[in-house]
Amino acid sequence: MRPLIPPTAGRRLRALAAVAIATTLLAASACGGDSGGDSGSANGEVTLRFTWWGGDTRTKLTQQAIDAYQKDHPNVKIKGEFGEWSGYWDKLATTVAANDAPDIIQMDEKYLREYADRGALLDLKKAEGLDTGKFENDTLSAGEFDGGLYGLNAGINSFAIVANPAVFKAAGVALPDDTTWTWDDYNRIAAELSTKLNGKGWGTGAPGTNEAALNLWARQHGESLWTPDGKLGVSPGQVTAFYQNLLKLRDAKAIPSAEFVSQDMNAALDQGAMATGKLAMSWMWSNQLNAMSKAAGQELKLLRVPSVEGKASANGSYYKGSMFWSISSRSKHQKEAAEFVNYLANSTAAGSILLAERGVPPNTEIRAAVTPKLAPADAASAKFIQDIGKELGNPSPAPPVGGGQVEKIIQRYTTEVLFGRQTPDKAAQGFIDEVNGELK
Amino acid sequence: MSALGELSALGRKKPAGQKKDNLAAYLFLSPWLLGLFAITIGPMIASLYLAFTDYNLIQAPEWIGFENFTRMLSDERLHNSLRVTFTYVFVSVPLQLAVALLLAVVLDRGVRGMAFYRSIFYLPSLLGSSVAIAILWRQVFGTEGLLNQVLALVGIDGKGWISDPSTALGTLVVLNVWTFGSPMVIFLAGLRQIPTMYYEAASVDGAGVLGRFFRITLPLLTPIIFFNLVLQIIHAFQSFTQAFVVSGGTGGPSDSTMFFTLYLYDRGFGNFDMGYASAMAWFLLVIIGAFTAANFFASKYWVFYDD
Amino acid sequence: MTTETIRSTVAARRSVGVSWARVRPLVIHVALAASALVMLYPLIWMVVSSLRPGNEIFREPGLLVKDLRIENYRLGWNALTEPFTRYLLNSAAVVLGAVLGNLVSCSMAAYAFARLEFVGKKFWFAIMLLSIMLPIHVVIVPQYILFSQAGWINTFLPLIIPKFLATDAFFVFLMVQFIRGIPRELDEAARIDGCGRAGIFLRVILPLMVPALATTTIFTFIWTWNDFFSQLIYLTDPKMYTVPVALRSFVDATAESSWGSMFAMSVVSLVPIFLAFLLGQRFLIKGIATTGIK
Repeated sequence: MRPLIPPTAGRRLRALAAVAIATTLLAASACGGDSGGDSGSANGEVTLRFTWWGGDTRTKLTQQAIDAYQKDHPNVKIKGEFGEWSGYWDKLATTVAANDAPDIIQMDEKYLREYADRGALLDLKKAEGLDTGKFENDTLSAGEFDGGLYGLNAGINSFAIVANPAVFKAAGVALPDDTTWTWDDYNRIAAELSTKLNGKGWGTGAPGTNEAALNLWARQHGESLWTPDGKLGVSPGQVTAFYQNLLKLRDAKAIPSAEFVSQDMNAALDQGAMATGKLAMSWMWSNQLNAMSKAAGQELKLLRVPSVEGKASANGSYYKGSMFWSISSRSKHQKEAAEFVNYLANSTAAGSILLAERGVPPNTEIRAAVTPKLAPADAASAKFIQDIGKELGNPSPAPPVGGGQVEKIIQRYTTEVLFGRQTPDKAAQGFIDEVNGELK
Repeated sequence: MSALGELSALGRKKPAGQKKDNLAAYLFLSPWLLGLFAITIGPMIASLYLAFTDYNLIQAPEWIGFENFTRMLSDERLHNSLRVTFTYVFVSVPLQLAVALLLAVVLDRGVRGMAFYRSIFYLPSLLGSSVAIAILWRQVFGTEGLLNQVLALVGIDGKGWISDPSTALGTLVVLNVWTFGSPMVIFLAGLRQIPTMYYEAASVDGAGVLGRFFRITLPLLTPIIFFNLVLQIIHAFQSFTQAFVVSGGTGGPSDSTMFFTLYLYDRGFGNFDMGYASAMAWFLLVIIGAFTAANFFASKYWVFYDD
Repeated sequence: MTTETIRSTVAARRSVGVSWARVRPLVIHVALAASALVMLYPLIWMVVSSLRPGNEIFREPGLLVKDLRIENYRLGWNALTEPFTRYLLNSAAVVLGAVLGNLVSCSMAAYAFARLEFVGKKFWFAIMLLSIMLPIHVVIVPQYILFSQAGWINTFLPLIIPKFLATDAFFVFLMVQFIRGIPRELDEAARIDGCGRAGIFLRVILPLMVPALATTTIFTFIWTWNDFFSQLIYLTDPKMYTVPVALRSFVDATAESSWGSMFAMSVVSLVPIFLAFLLGQRFLIKGIATTGIK
């Protein structure tokens, strides 16, 4: 036959196919390691999979802590798996569904009960080798429900206001006394800041870009976002009042425009208006102080949140677990996993590597040992946590199953209110109906 | 699935008396068939089954019949996500294809340094779904973004294009049009298959640029236009990553960029309601299938094959 | 803009004649260059940001860099548990497998659909189209279970093997459309010369669909290189991580993120796909038009 094209083409294609198959097999053999699970081998070596979310700083520190542990425990091999926040949860859900979950899981309050209530997490009270004796009062309760402990507090956090003293100074406004200020003070000072900054910035970021401010508001009014038995504990009246106050802030121009607030809601921490020096105050978790200070290039200061009565002890603050350590209930090496978690939580060696990167250590001894080594901003947030310790109210119950959605829901209704698309009472009712719809 | 009637076009010009080549055909199809049965079909059937269950990913699924589907009828956020998705499909697909086709035609012939421009115009598409997109988009469409700076020069007060519910979807349409590289490349490849002698003949006949475009390029390119149309519509209905990245996973502000797939994902992975998410996925499949079928049906009247 | 260019070109040529012919390329170039600049602004911003100290990125608008720092590149390269080279190599391995897989398997399936007559053709074609209509998020869990049963988790197999089995129906459809643009007389000519089905496929169809193969190569390369979700799900060991998975590990929305490193490594990761595009596009133009057949 007469070849239309060079006869080598066919041979080339066959060669191509051969290369393709060879590559695949190579990839298979080169990477065909064990995928976790049945990793207890004859010489008693145990492989644990440990997963966390976070940026590269956390990854570096955590890997150092792992290396240190492995040196002392030659029979334990720990494989770290890390990733960014949203992908982390997709992956965790998928692996849990496929019965292939990592042994040690960094857990967030939002999802704690989702997993625990469905039996995916181990009750740490029953785990051997895990000691919580040195933990500060109330720091365990956030991971505790139905009589079990499903998440061990990995760092204490508290919702607070962060202030930028440089912006206060530029506006010629004095920093408030945060032990006595009320919401009225807060509103007034924020409005005054905006006026004096004259377009170059605003008094405060909006409360209501996550659920924590609403929870504090509710607690100050004798309610609570969640009840211990897993229901929504805030009344339509209080949500309405919370939103009415938000409108007061908006109308006094104490907070930026609706568009600006909405844009800031999902901005990464270092992109937000606080980091770029446009806000005098903002609502934030206390352990973010260090990152925020670095991003802003300023020394920032944590303030207690305002209260109705002007008493810090009545401002509803509580210790939240910034994150938790959990162990998969299907882990084949629960004892070894618990021992490793014990190391992360209770050993000075781990503590002096991890420092306060995940929040202030809840183990008081570790905290004392670590504090001198902290960066100034971390030391400041550790001190803040220490200071408010005496003023705290009851612990705040963990969100129930389905409660993890509340942040997105409140963001949406806050946007609706700020843009004037819904009145506070309509938004309040909508918020409550929708949250109740999510709960299971 | 009635669209398949339209596939008759596939076998249209079978020479008379030619025997079927079943054996050869199935040999050629064997990798695909193996993949279909080993990898594709199983998970598809699994998701169809899950659509009729209450499945939270952790515990075993529980059969609940049509409950997920009846729930969809009264789910207002789902209805909103359908509105958002349809708006997006109908606005962004024609725009993107028009831009891609125009640039492909301009870049195809007669411009020196065409390879250079082609690469430049393709560059944005390389960025794809990278995290950097979220930040870039804020830099352009944020309250203090590039667009507002330019508008300020001509004395117009800008706004937060991304954060205003009434314009957020628009910025995603722009993002989609901005990444027109893929259809452009497909158009370019298609243009290259049009034999030059057609153009030479037309030139001899005295046809101008537009004449050649409408009489030769466009008709001969219809199979490729058709392909791009079908695929971009499917793609737009499934659009997820860009909205996810730009809105930080929320579909905000105020659900204004909450695409159907974003809501589906939110139900499945955010709310641990994989049963409902699977039902939504099959509902979407029916919608996309209907559009594709309609496309195939209509193609009889405007797509010309050379075979 | 471009329509106008064409239209005015036509109009002008009729009236002005020769002088316009000289200006015309210039006008087109200016228009193209201007729109290229608009297209590129965000990318330029990204490159500039990668040269800035991390905390300046969001505080300094505009494109001027005061002190140029390549530090981000050095830091970013070693910021995670493995050097970035590792992630680049992993991505390269996955991409290579995926490209080969798609080229071989999709062209075979496409040839069958476009040229052969067989029982159940319409049915299978419909199934193929259907298989691209289901969103990945609802099939990922069953698929993960499947691959984990096979012991393929934390290998590149779940990312490569499906490509060898033509699961990217997009490319099958793409190639079907291209093959149908190839005149059937060429098949007939080859058949008369004694070619069988395989012969026609290898000697006629494949060489004539180089643009489609180039398109497939470019797209598979880029999409696999950028694909985040499935690589995230199937690769658990950081030693196996690919570029997109690693890139996101620089960013933590709730805490401090290494934006400088992220931008620097994003720029680095753009280089291979841009090169792939530059090389691949040369084959885009090797169609019938240039081979001169017909």
